[in-house]
Amino acid sequence: MSTHDSDDLEALFDSIVSAQQSALSADTGADSDLDACPTCENSDKVFNKIGQLTRTLHDSLRELGLDKNLESVASSIPDACDRLSYVAAMTQQAAERVLNATDAAGPLVEKIQGDAQQLSTDWQSLFDGNLKVDQFKQLVTRTHAYLTGVQKQTKAINTFLMDIVMAQDFQDLTGQVIKKTLDVTQDMERQLVSLLMESAPVVPHPNDDGLLNGPVVAPGGRNDIVTSQDQVDDLLASLGF
Amino acid sequence: MVDANMKFLVVDDFSTMRRIVRNLLKELGFTNIVEAEDGLDALSKLKVGDIQFVVSDWNMPNMTGIELLRAIRKDPTLKHLPVLMVTAEAKKENIIEAAQAGASGYIVKPFTAATMDEKLKKIFQNMTK
Repeated sequence: MSTHDSDDLEALFDSIVSAQQSALSADTGADSDLDACPTCENSDKVFNKIGQLTRTLHDSLRELGLDKNLESVASSIPDACDRLSYVAAMTQQAAERVLNATDAAGPLVEKIQGDAQQLSTDWQSLFDGNLKVDQFKQLVTRTHAYLTGVQKQTKAINTFLMDIVMAQDFQDLTGQVIKKTLDVTQDMERQLVSLLMESAPVVPHPNDDGLLNGPVVAPGGRNDIVTSQDQVDDLLASLGF
Repeated sequence: MVDANMKFLVVDDFSTMRRIVRNLLKELGFTNIVEAEDGLDALSKLKVGDIQFVVSDWNMPNMTGIELLRAIRKDPTLKHLPVLMVTAEAKKENIIEAAQAGASGYIVKPFTAATMDEKLKKIFQNMTK
């Protein structure tokens, strides 16, 4: 009985061992290696592995042509910075123009209002019968002067209003520039995503936009552009237009 | 003397810019103004007729200003129209391209009221010749 029992037990033991072995063999070799050496040697192996992975990633990036794309994205960042500085400068200039115009127009409006109030009070006393002939004559002269003055002042105010309108031209220019910068940002995002996914190579976008470049944000050192209306006129004149 | 009732078409994809040009024209005595937001919109408004002067931006969606200019010059009913380009495009290439395509004038943004006035007067002079 006891031997039969022990035979059975042995068979059970064997079956458990073989099941465990097949489970182990399904694991990676590295894991069993790690199991085999549980101490500081582990970290060396991990570092080696990371090193190999980095190398592989680097090589595959090159193969996919992504390093070139990253390079072009990196080179478009200074351009984007130029564009944003241009936006900052244009908006600041516009804000200053508007504030200057309102500062200049404000006192004129106040003067028109103040004088009108004074004249209105005086005319009221005339209607109330409280004005002598001399005072009345004076009031008429002052009223006439006021009416003449208002024409001049409103003309001046109109000039300031026009200046405020003209100061808004930044919106069109900065809008175009911001759109271009957004394109760069989106491009960058797309490329970083594809880098992360190690997917198919990204089609590089052409640098030259031909005749649709928008405002020139960094005119320094370029001779293919004009920087003033005079230059436009000179160029056209030189061509016989 | 130029007719103060002359009908202008202002073409720009930015409404702010259209407002500025409209204000400038008003300041110069022209109040009869219609607007279009791109070249296609402009062409359909031109086909309706009675527009006598076109002020157009270059860089616009759907149909650019230079395409609009070429379309105007190709159309026998429109080709006589003065077209003033008002654009941020400042490459010499652009200016030459516009001149060769038959632009009546070229203003680079940002511009002043005086520039606008001067170019309009010059175009009016050539029109009466």
